[in-house]
Amino acid sequence: MLSPLRLTDLSRQLRLSVLDLIYLSGGGHIGGSLSSLDLMISVYFSKTFNFPGDHFVLSAGHLCPSLYAVLSAAGYFHPDLLKTYSAYRSPLQGHVSTDVPGVEYSSGSLGQGLSFAAGLALGHPKHTTICLTSDGEHQEGQIWEAAMFASKYHLGNLINLVDYNHYQIDGPTDEIMPLGRLAAKYIEFGWTVTTINGHNFSQINKALVKAKESNYPNCIIAQTVFGQGVSFMQYDYRYHDVKNLPENLYLRARKELSNLL
Amino acid sequence: MPSISQPSSSVRQAFGDTLLRLAKTNKNLCVVSADLKSSLCLTKFAAKYPKRFIECGVAESNAAAIAAGLAKTGRTVFLSSFACFSPAINWAVIKQSVCYNHANVKIVGSHAGLASGDLGATHQMLEDLALMRSLPNMQVFAPLDATETKKIVTVCANSPLPAYIRLVRPSSPQVFDPKFSFTIGKSAVLRSGKDITILGHGLPLANFFSSLRAQSRPQFSFEVINCSSIKPLDTDTIQKSIKKTGRVICLEDHQKNGGLGEAVSSFILSSAIPCRFLHLAVDNLFGQSAKDYLQLYDHYGLGWQSILHAAQRLML
Repeated sequence: MLSPLRLTDLSRQLRLSVLDLIYLSGGGHIGGSLSSLDLMISVYFSKTFNFPGDHFVLSAGHLCPSLYAVLSAAGYFHPDLLKTYSAYRSPLQGHVSTDVPGVEYSSGSLGQGLSFAAGLALGHPKHTTICLTSDGEHQEGQIWEAAMFASKYHLGNLINLVDYNHYQIDGPTDEIMPLGRLAAKYIEFGWTVTTINGHNFSQINKALVKAKESNYPNCIIAQTVFGQGVSFMQYDYRYHDVKNLPENLYLRARKELSNLL
Repeated sequence: MPSISQPSSSVRQAFGDTLLRLAKTNKNLCVVSADLKSSLCLTKFAAKYPKRFIECGVAESNAAAIAAGLAKTGRTVFLSSFACFSPAINWAVIKQSVCYNHANVKIVGSHAGLASGDLGATHQMLEDLALMRSLPNMQVFAPLDATETKKIVTVCANSPLPAYIRLVRPSSPQVFDPKFSFTIGKSAVLRSGKDITILGHGLPLANFFSSLRAQSRPQFSFEVINCSSIKPLDTDTIQKSIKKTGRVICLEDHQKNGGLGEAVSSFILSSAIPCRFLHLAVDNLFGQSAKDYLQLYDHYGLGWQSILHAAQRLML
């Protein structure tokens, strides 16, 4: 397993890649990408899982800038391709697409990925399927259909990793549609639940290992920071999907992220 | 109105029986069900292959994505429900999780059309072909009778592509011989004629054809073509017939919008084939209950008399 320290180094580098990719392409979902990045780094670099074989489903397809950066760092494709994000004829679609090497599920319409992941988990009982969902996505009813299903079919090999960053496109999740006691809801649906700090690699890795070994469907609620690493983006929902980030703000963000290196 | 000749048999029973038979040799064949297994004649399948029968309950959106995920593990998945729920409630899931992700899922929507009779407007799915025709990667089939249902289900089970199969509730008159062979993208000419081309699918066409067959001297010479392969459409056979007759009646238990008639008229126009065209279908209306669905076919203009009136108009 890569040490939490090494993963922290990688996280600092990839945070810059995500910022560059979104700035250079003229826009992208930066707030959630920065909040979910560490979770995806753990999935691919903690060596808890084996790909291909185990499955990763990004249900919140708009968080693809982070997945693209992680897959590129993991060697699935050359980092030069990142520059083409959301450009005409690029495989790096604005919402995640299987045209990109390493991507198993094309998504963008929220709420479907957990069901798809449950189907994979049912069909491949000897492998682990990890699904990354967002907190806002839990407003979709289909998530709860999938939660019931996973419990009925005893999908102990299914992990739902929730990027709980508390913001969605129009504002704080608690204002748009509060999720209430999310952990309690999953427990009532028959899942095991672990709540962690989604930027602490030691906690993320431990939760993933524990979830992999559990016999029940697993929900890891990762408390994350929307826009993590860029002070003026943090906790500001207007950075859900940023278009044409002004150069001065880009440079300021870059400086803040570089200082972390 | 001439009586519909017997015998008739259930397309739903044919579907259930065919899956049961195919599952014996195809170990990867699975059913994902959103309740309604008895209505889809899958009770035997569920009892015989409990591990390959996945019951999702009344949750069609989840069922469609479960089916897609399962398909990605190498299974051939039949997703079964009523057409008014699947593909109606779960269309966006079928678009993204099935079609966009190239998942080997066959959506089987039963109780389609006005033919579901006493269940009324909510259960009379008249928009399913529109929903499914519009999706990239999706094939669309509407079998004419029990024999063709068996053939279409078998062909679909052996194909890696997504498909929608439209089934109806009542028994259908038997039209095809068991030796009949179905090919994707091919239409069967059920009867040759020179005056009017009748294009259609499913129950209204089977009923019309049975009635026509019972006539010793029909008023007009009808060429009857079964367009069960709605997408891909057999435009060659259609074109050949229309060039001969110059008159077309398109008959379907579906909304005019988005149905076979729209596909055919679009083809006729883009190919500049000179002809007169009438579309007998539900015209921007909801259905309603009736104990006998044939009352609804008469009311909405899909019955024998309506077709004869349309033919008379075309022959003027």
